[in-house]
Amino acid sequence: MSHMKELTKGIFKENPTFIIMLGMCPTLGVSTQVSNAIGMGASVIFVLTCSNIFISLLRKVIPESVRIPCYIVIIASFVTIVEMVLHAFVPSVYEALGVYLPLIVVNCIILGRAEAFAGKNGVLDSALDGIGMGIGFTLSLSLIALIRETLGAGTITLFPVGSFSGVITVPGLSESPVRVLTLAAGALLLMGYLKAFFQWKTARSNGGEA
Amino acid sequence: MTRYIRTAVILFLISAICTALCAVVNEVTAPRIAENVEKERISALEDVASGLAIGEEVQVGDGTVNYYIPLSDGSATTGYIVELSSSGYGGAMTIIASYSTDGSVLAAKMMANSETPGLGKKAEEPWYMEMFTGLGGDSLLPASKSDLSADDGAAVSGASITFGGVSSALIAGSEFVKGLGGAV
Repeated sequence: MSHMKELTKGIFKENPTFIIMLGMCPTLGVSTQVSNAIGMGASVIFVLTCSNIFISLLRKVIPESVRIPCYIVIIASFVTIVEMVLHAFVPSVYEALGVYLPLIVVNCIILGRAEAFAGKNGVLDSALDGIGMGIGFTLSLSLIALIRETLGAGTITLFPVGSFSGVITVPGLSESPVRVLTLAAGALLLMGYLKAFFQWKTARSNGGEA
Repeated sequence: MTRYIRTAVILFLISAICTALCAVVNEVTAPRIAENVEKERISALEDVASGLAIGEEVQVGDGTVNYYIPLSDGSATTGYIVELSSSGYGGAMTIIASYSTDGSVLAAKMMANSETPGLGKKAEEPWYMEMFTGLGGDSLLPASKSDLSADDGAAVSGASITFGGVSSALIAGSEFVKGLGGAV
C-alpha cells in the first residue's frame, strides 16, 4: 500500500508543478505546444526515474560532503543519454525542446527528489517516486500546454502518424486566438489561475477553508 | 587525509561509470545522428534550390560563410546556396540560404539552433524566412526589427536576438554572393 502511495503522491497530492512549485522555468518555457510538453515530460520521467534509482543504489557509498556534485554528475549523464537518444530516434522532438533539454540537468524537480527522497530511501520507493513525480510533471505540463495552445494559437499539436499531420485546428480560435497566452506573461497568468484552483481543491479535500 | 582520498576516489569512480555509460550510448546513436543531420541538410538544399540544378560544394569557412554551392539553370550559374553560421539567443545557429547572383534572397531555412521554443524557434517556420525573400539585391535586407512592417515586427516580437542573428547572417551571405557574381 505504501509503495502505491509513493507512486501516486506526485500526481495530485504533491504535484511538483502545482503544489510543490518546482521546475517552473521549463514549465513556462516548453508549454507552448502539447507535443513539446509530452516530449519534455517523457524525458523528465526517464531522467527522474533513472537518477532516483542510481542515487538510491549509491546512497550509502556517496560521501555527505560531495553528495550534490555526485547527484549532478549522475543527473547530467542521464540527460546526455536522453539528448543523444532523442536526437537519433525522435529528431523532431529533440529540435522542438531545444535549450530546455540540457536544462533538465538543473531542473529543481530532479535535484529536489534526489536530495529529499532518493538519497534517503530504498531503490523501489525511489523508482516509484521518480515515476509518480514524472507523471505528475507531465500531466501538469500537458494541461498548461493544452490550454495555452488551444486558446493562444487555436491549434493542438500532437505527433504526426500516417496521414495525420499531427496538428488539430480548433475552429473559431485559430482565426482569432488569445495571443497573450503564447507569451511568457500569459503563461504566468494561467499558472496563477491553475495554482489557485489546485490550492482550492487541496484545501477542500483536506476539509479546510477554501 | 584518508577521508579526502576516499571521497575523491568515490567521486572519480561515479564520474567514470557515468562517462562510460554516455560513451556506450554515444557509440550506438552517433551514426544515426550523423545520418539524420545529413538527410536534413540534403532536404534543406533541395528546398532552397528553387528547382535549379545544385552544383559542387566549395568550402569557405570564414566564420560566417561555411560553404557555397553554385545553382544553375542548365547553361549558366544563376545563383548560389550558402551555408551561414550566426548566433542567436540560445547560441550558435546554422542557416542555409539561396541567393540569385545579384545577392537577393531566393529562399532560406533555419537549420541547427537552440532558440527558445515558442519565441526564437519561430525562425524555423516557413513564413519567417519569407520576410527576407526577394530582398538583398536592389532593396536592402532588414537589419533590425524597425526595418520590418508592423505585422512582421509584431510576429518576431519577443525574439529580437534571434531576428538579429538571422538577418546579419543573411546580409553577410548576400554580400558574399555579390562578391562571387555570376562566374565560379
